Amino acid sequence: MNVAVTQAEVLVVGGGSAGATAAIRAQQDLPPGRVVLLEKAHLKRSGAIAIGMDGLNNAIVPGHATPEQYVKEITTANDGIVDQRAVLAYATRSFEMLQQLDRWGVKFQKTESGDFDVKKVHHQGRYVLPMPEGYDLKKILTRLIKRAGVQVHNRFAATRVLLDRGRVAGVIGVDVRTGEVSVIRAKAVILCCGASGRLGLPASGYLYGTYENPSNAGDGYSMAYHAGAELTGIECFQINPLIKDYNGPACAYVTGPLGGHTVNARGDRFIQSDYWSGQMMLEFYRELHSSNGPVYLKLTHLAPETLAEIERVLHRTERPSRGRFHLGRGHEYCADSVEMHISEIGLCSGHSASGVWVNERGETSVPGLYAAGDMACVPHNYLLGALTYGQICAENALVYAAQAEPPVNESDLDDQVATERARILAPLSRPRGVPHHQYEYKVRRLVNDYLQPPKTANRMTVGLEYFERLRGELEEVGATDPHELMRVAECGFIRDCAEMAARASLFRTESRWGLYHHRLDYPEPNDAEWFVHVNLKKGPDGEMLLSKRPIEEYVVPMTRDELSGYQGLRVRGAAENGALEGTVP
Amino acid sequence: MSNLEDREVAKAADALRVGNAQTVRVYDVPVVVDLAKCITGCRICIDSCPVDCLAVNPETKKAHMRHDECWYCLACEIDCPKDAITVKIPFLVR
Repeated sequence: MNVAVTQAEVLVVGGGSAGATAAIRAQQDLPPGRVVLLEKAHLKRSGAIAIGMDGLNNAIVPGHATPEQYVKEITTANDGIVDQRAVLAYATRSFEMLQQLDRWGVKFQKTESGDFDVKKVHHQGRYVLPMPEGYDLKKILTRLIKRAGVQVHNRFAATRVLLDRGRVAGVIGVDVRTGEVSVIRAKAVILCCGASGRLGLPASGYLYGTYENPSNAGDGYSMAYHAGAELTGIECFQINPLIKDYNGPACAYVTGPLGGHTVNARGDRFIQSDYWSGQMMLEFYRELHSSNGPVYLKLTHLAPETLAEIERVLHRTERPSRGRFHLGRGHEYCADSVEMHISEIGLCSGHSASGVWVNERGETSVPGLYAAGDMACVPHNYLLGALTYGQICAENALVYAAQAEPPVNESDLDDQVATERARILAPLSRPRGVPHHQYEYKVRRLVNDYLQPPKTANRMTVGLEYFERLRGELEEVGATDPHELMRVAECGFIRDCAEMAARASLFRTESRWGLYHHRLDYPEPNDAEWFVHVNLKKGPDGEMLLSKRPIEEYVVPMTRDELSGYQGLRVRGAAENGALEGTVP
Repeated sequence: MSNLEDREVAKAADALRVGNAQTVRVYDVPVVVDLAKCITGCRICIDSCPVDCLAVNPETKKAHMRHDECWYCLACEIDCPKDAITVKIPFLVR
């Protein structure tokens, strides 16, 4: 067996937003080529935002908000279950990141006097900064990575973290074009692999019609888990309000500041704030399943020039094919309200709180392993959080790498490589096996059947049996080329995430975060027992271990009223007509 | 009747262990490449695709959608220097 080995000081896995700033920052302090960046797609169109973003959802701009106000907002939005120090680290450093992006040439919306043009979308503060020409962001980051001298491997799918006595030693994976398995040895590894976006199945039934970029299949969640890292808040699913059938946001963040808003079929508003939180999603869900449903984004009252501005942004950034989707359906913003629905479930700390446990230095619970972006649990961290935490991780990874000792147990590392190489390549021995898309469809259909909120122990227990059975069925899936090898590896990641989602959701016997963890068998929050993080990790015998982790004392104190500030999101007087509460749909 | 039951018992057992059968069917996919405009040897769209669904068609030597895994993000269409690509919304979504 001959497996090529690349040596690196710091290894970044994933070249999206977090991975980009991590690699750029780490390379600043090292000789050229000592930072390796692995990207499963190609750097120029990778990550969650292949086409760029239309705005920053959580910019903390002096004069508009303070870091402390932001920490309060996110603590409230996440029903108190946050490590405030991690949120505060983002809050205090993100304006510096924003200014850096501005200097790099990212175009933000500014007022006539040249200040950042911050809009209000959140329940309490003002944090939304439009970037109508956000399609430049990927180009700018790609150029900076190349200029910095980072060693980039595109089309490389990392599959496992290599360990030496429980500490990071590198990563193994496969080139998805050549099928060559290779190893990158590194003193520190920063996982920036994005969300677990191919978990639930979209209502359209199209496997790749997911809200998240489908290249984000939960790779990082699974790799961190198998490396022994703790994950947290996995039961706090990501569910987003999207255009019905089309996997783009209807986009309250773009249309809201211009006068668009969410209404029910009667044309009435029913939520006070369009900011995406579990509480908002629960009201959205209730309205959708009541006699007041469906739910719409109302734009028909806006002036033609306002609609033109909305189209200019929405049809050019983030999900630019939405224009042709509407055209195909024969719908126009001026005449038709946009029918909305809820997305499939996913895991993503960028929007909710499900991710790998990290502290304010971006450290996971495995020495030398860092995580940033959608896969790392800093709740509601979004794009600017990914960019900021990429830098934070890089700075701390550099310090760690400088004093890290070389691995001592080389033969054990060789064993890990041999075992993983065989596992990666096994599907090629079954070219006529079950096709990956059928396996994936099955897992994700079962995720919808048994895990989609509202949750019950009975359903999730049945689902868990199927996810365990699917572990064995993965051995039947075949591949005929390197691309399919990548897909089969992703099938394993998706199955792992499904099992984690079921176990964490079963463990927390209360309801919290609105729809994200709404349990019909425990419909109320229970602060006495569950004002804690639920953490999950791989046990010594390979079983999933769950535990409660106390919430660290808040650094920004919260009053009782502040903590429950997101509970009253239903517009006063907006009746709940025939809501399905108490039944399993 | 008992013969049919015996047969079912045998077939149910066989179904657990027989190998796999295959099918071949060419069908409509979202990424449409204009072969007259597409440049032989250019791989820009193939590099752009975040889900790696494009490849060179060995028969035409031009780009084509090899895997039915499109996110209709338009990266290939936007990045194509010859405007040779049109992305349709997948049938299940449109």
